[in-house]
Amino acid sequence: MNGRSLRLALLGESQVDEAALAILVEGILGKPFNQVQPGLRARGWPSVIQILPAIARHLHFNTDADALVMLVDADDTEPHGSHHERPGYFHPRCRLCQLRAVFRRATRHLPLKHGRERMLRAVGLAVPSAEAWYLCGNDDTVGEAAWVEGRVTGRAPYTRRELKARVYGTERPNLAQAVAGATLAAKRHARDPRRLEHDFPGFAALATDLRSWELKPAETDSSRSAA
Amino acid sequence: MIASVAFRNFKALRSARIELAPFNLVIGPNGSGKTSLIQAVLRLRTLARLPISDTFAVTNLEAAQIAFRFNPPHNGFEATLTCRDEESCDLLQLTPLAASGELIDWAVLRTRLLTARSYLLDSRAIIRPVQTGGSRELASDGSNLTACLAGLREISPDAYAGLCAELLQLFPEYADLVLYADRGTFSLRLAGGGAPVMVPADEVSQGTLYVMALLALAHDPAPPAIICLEELDRGIHPRLLRGVRDVLYRLTHPADYGHTRSPVQVIATTHSPQLLDLFRDHPEEIVIADKHGRAATFARLSDRTDLTELLAEGGTLGDLWYSGILGGVPEAT
Ligand SMILES: [Zn+2]
Repeated sequence: MNGRSLRLALLGESQVDEAALAILVEGILGKPFNQVQPGLRARGWPSVIQILPAIARHLHFNTDADALVMLVDADDTEPHGSHHERPGYFHPRCRLCQLRAVFRRATRHLPLKHGRERMLRAVGLAVPSAEAWYLCGNDDTVGEAAWVEGRVTGRAPYTRRELKARVYGTERPNLAQAVAGATLAAKRHARDPRRLEHDFPGFAALATDLRSWELKPAETDSSRSAA
Repeated sequence: MIASVAFRNFKALRSARIELAPFNLVIGPNGSGKTSLIQAVLRLRTLARLPISDTFAVTNLEAAQIAFRFNPPHNGFEATLTCRDEESCDLLQLTPLAASGELIDWAVLRTRLLTARSYLLDSRAIIRPVQTGGSRELASDGSNLTACLAGLREISPDAYAGLCAELLQLFPEYADLVLYADRGTFSLRLAGGGAPVMVPADEVSQGTLYVMALLALAHDPAPPAIICLEELDRGIHPRLLRGVRDVLYRLTHPADYGHTRSPVQVIATTHSPQLLDLFRDHPEEIVIADKHGRAATFARLSDRTDLTELLAEGGTLGDLWYSGILGGVPEAT
């Protein structure tokens, strides 16, 4: 990659999350990147994981993408805990673990073309939805720990709808409102991602993936243990 | 506006009741009563023009009947349409509801009901040049769209500018909307983005024309109180459906977007799983029409107590619907 801009494909569940993701990724990488066109989009879970092998194949053979960056909402599924990072560990109900595993399987046997390094990947898991990230730092009641606690006690501290209303001022934000709210928050976190990384391990995992590219670009994926 | 509709012996709706929200997306197989719901609203509008019947005794218990209740402040009575036969539903009665007491302000409600409109947009009708002048109200097939847009530009330049801005945001391949007046007729064209090329209406895609019609409704300073839209997703790219939903939410929840006008109630039908996907967080806005044998029924998706668990198992809302788990699919033959 020697100095040239990274070519990244971003995959999210909506245009809103993708707009925020682009800002967060640039913030973590500390430099601009080029986005592979046309933009990818999945119709929510499980469409993301179903379409992922085809997307990986397409990016590998038909584009010069260096990496695929994915962001999905956890909804009511398992958050990505720190113990999921243990070598050989895979949580079958954690969407982040699932995406990593499917990406690994999909790309493992793709033939390396001349001049083509193995495609990298980064995955983020927003718990329970990206709106929680957008509130982080401005609303102290919001965080993965509070959500995990709610899963244990059976009393969720907030709903996806409530998070939307808190971020956008309405449960039914239009695209312009949603993109404005999401990108404003993303810019705030991009300037200083520490709080978001601390409060949201699903974001910390994404940031760790992105930073690892600088260190050993071609090995990130294979360094993860098999599912 | 309308809080609930109860059907008895009306077409396939032998005994069915549905509570309506500000926004309602009706899904279900063909012949399941989606259109009957819209027809019922239109009949109520038609009868609202006539004097109230004081013939309270309906003798024929087999007669088709549609009973409407309304949201506050019009919740003091029930309006019942009774049909003599399949074709003529021409008896409108008002019954005070015990709980809420007196028969109030039918006159106020009536004027609102008279503005209810139903649309089944037709791109071939939309692209024909239209006479200047005429009604500023969008025709049910959208055929006078160009004249409506020209009228809006005249009476409310700000609203028209807002419409154009939203149109170009949804379709960034265009740079401008141009209305041509020529010898007493109007026609519309879209200016291409890059080159100075004019795209005549008959070369504009069907979906783009439909979205323009929806924008004309959404930017109307005095929109109808109730808007029914058949086949909302028709011709529209799945990725643009979010924008379409936004346009309609602005009608149904104006305060959320800083508008002061009255909310519009929207009843739309669709066969698109992708459109349904967008309502995961708002199951109360989804009406499932179902048909068992010859009898049709309605249900609210939010009444499914296991919906959260079903979604947690995987599958988008559209996937769940398509699979048949939620109902609203054709019966096996
Ligand atoms: Zn995990």
